[in-house]
Amino acid sequence: MSGLFDQFKTWYEKRHDYARAWKARTGGQVVATMCTYTPEEILIAAGMLPVRVLGAHEPQNVTEPHIFGMFCPFCRDSLAQGLLGRFDYAEGITLTQSCIQYRQAFNSWRAHVPTVKWDYYLPMPNEVQSRFARAQHYAEVKKFRQFIEGVIGRPLPDAELKRGIEIVNENRRLLRELFEYRKETNPRVTGVEALYASITAQFVDKEEHNKELKRVLAELPKRSNDRPEGIRFMTIGSENDDVAFMAMVESVGATIVIDDQCSGTRYFWNEARVQDDAIATIADRYCERPACPTKDYPAHTRFDHVLKLAKDYNARAAIFLQQKFCDPHEGDYPDLKRHLEANGVPTLFLEFDITNPLGPFRIRVEAFLETLREEELF
Amino acid sequence: MAETAGEKKEYWRWQENCWIDESKNWRDAKIITAGIDVGSVSSQAVIVCDGGLYGFNSMRTGNNSPDSAKNAINGVLEKSGMKLEDIHYVVGTGYGRVNVPFAHKAITEIACHARGANYMGGSQIRTILDMGGQDCKAIHCDEKGKVTNFLMNDKCAAGTGRGMEVIADLMQIPIAELGPRSFDVDEEPPAVSSTCVVFAKSEALALLKAGYSKNKVIAAYCQAMAERVVSLLERIGVEKEFFITGGIAKNPGVVKRIERLLGLQAVQTKYDSQIAGALGAALFGYTLVQKQGVPNKAAA
Repeated sequence: MSGLFDQFKTWYEKRHDYARAWKARTGGQVVATMCTYTPEEILIAAGMLPVRVLGAHEPQNVTEPHIFGMFCPFCRDSLAQGLLGRFDYAEGITLTQSCIQYRQAFNSWRAHVPTVKWDYYLPMPNEVQSRFARAQHYAEVKKFRQFIEGVIGRPLPDAELKRGIEIVNENRRLLRELFEYRKETNPRVTGVEALYASITAQFVDKEEHNKELKRVLAELPKRSNDRPEGIRFMTIGSENDDVAFMAMVESVGATIVIDDQCSGTRYFWNEARVQDDAIATIADRYCERPACPTKDYPAHTRFDHVLKLAKDYNARAAIFLQQKFCDPHEGDYPDLKRHLEANGVPTLFLEFDITNPLGPFRIRVEAFLETLREEELF
Repeated sequence: MAETAGEKKEYWRWQENCWIDESKNWRDAKIITAGIDVGSVSSQAVIVCDGGLYGFNSMRTGNNSPDSAKNAINGVLEKSGMKLEDIHYVVGTGYGRVNVPFAHKAITEIACHARGANYMGGSQIRTILDMGGQDCKAIHCDEKGKVTNFLMNDKCAAGTGRGMEVIADLMQIPIAELGPRSFDVDEEPPAVSSTCVVFAKSEALALLKAGYSKNKVIAAYCQAMAERVVSLLERIGVEKEFFITGGIAKNPGVVKRIERLLGLQAVQTKYDSQIAGALGAALFGYTLVQKQGVPNKAAA
């Protein structure tokens, strides 16, 4: 059964080739999206392919004139991909407001990437808990719809929006179903496989992705997983698509069973509650999703959400994958660490950069595992 | 210390050391285990007989881990008349732990240093500072020497043994003399502003040009190193029974300054602090043999 997730892996490794082929096949527009708060439903309804901007995890020297070196590595790596022409197939670039570093990366992209034909900044409220937030976001999503109508040169009827919502909701539902397998003892889905599935949802045509998810879900009950489970880990942080790191962790006596990351569960966890008003359906969904730290105040709703994930998936411990200089996540870290540890979930903190030192990280992960294992050595 | 043309004195070269306990006869031991710590700068082999330290060899790491491991163990084998086959269990540790060809198991140096410190300093030890060749670790452990928490320095080798070697070469003073000489100053200078090996080197040169004596530059570097590791320790919290392992533990210029900054005296030991990792590995081997028996065949 090895190879069940090969399609997702291929999509991940050849994501730019995929987007180019999609464009050639459909004639549709590709939109580079920054941040998972982007209302993809509207883009999909308009026949576009939203492609989330990810880094390449390789050294680069192009972003220094644009954004500071003390901006998070994900921002720098993402902007580098635009400046290096890796997204030359994307007509549009969008950002929905999350953090200020990301916004400056976006501003530089739209100003300096010559292949950009249009750009859109969606100023979503950060204080989604405010009583004014939903009305505000409703108005902004409505404006975004009007903008996209301008790009495609025709109105976008509610029926098409509702179809977009259905497609994205189905994707969320299928990913949740896939992640259910990770609750098992000795799960049939590893952390690396789950990452391939969730991250590719962010740039592959959703209908195609849904089809592949259904195929995998149909095969999974027959799959027996004989790899040793080891210690069950949760990962916490912002974006993470460092497959080499995930594979290393799962090679030293652990299985990653759940995450709270925007490359994973935060992206797809909640479906949109379908209402008569399609714009309200979309706008509310993003206000209600598991919060990123930029949108989690004054109450810290994510602390209990993260703990519940750890408990539901029986994670023995958690690893914080902290993007260096990511202020929102670093601000949450001390309290979230205390919250988890007070509730019986020990934690390890690792600082991620554009490229990560696997050897030193391996020492830390193995030492952490040694603190968690039974006392065979004593 | 004058050098002649063509002769380059290696001021950084620390004393390699091979020792066995002449009062013991390893042939009397029921269980013999070894720990091999292949570090970035030094490699150690420790032999433990029936749970007690019997001998060790400490030498510079070569250009590959398997050879470094073999050289380290061969030194102590030769001195004792033991053969590799006489050893029941071998545990590898250090950054080259998975490349010890004759090891039965690899365990991280974090766990091994805690276990070794527990043996050397006693079961009351709760905080360990391992100052290694290219990294530093602050470790908390329980009364059995089991790690309960740890922190490592990130990415760069600043404030570690390799940095001290560079300063020894720069000052042209043998590394073992750096610590004592750092106290031979009229007044304690402020720390150099960077412990980065490269920047500290240029800063040290600037201080010499500005009229600092060599001893004063060394004092400023020792202080900077101490401040750096104390910040690591403070992040994890220091409990009173505090122990220092690794090569830098032999440098009083750094150790005394750490103690001054912490307001705490490190627990003293009669053992060589540099062997803590390999000793812990050998002790783990001993426990594993007690619990699981002798493996059928040597891993090699």
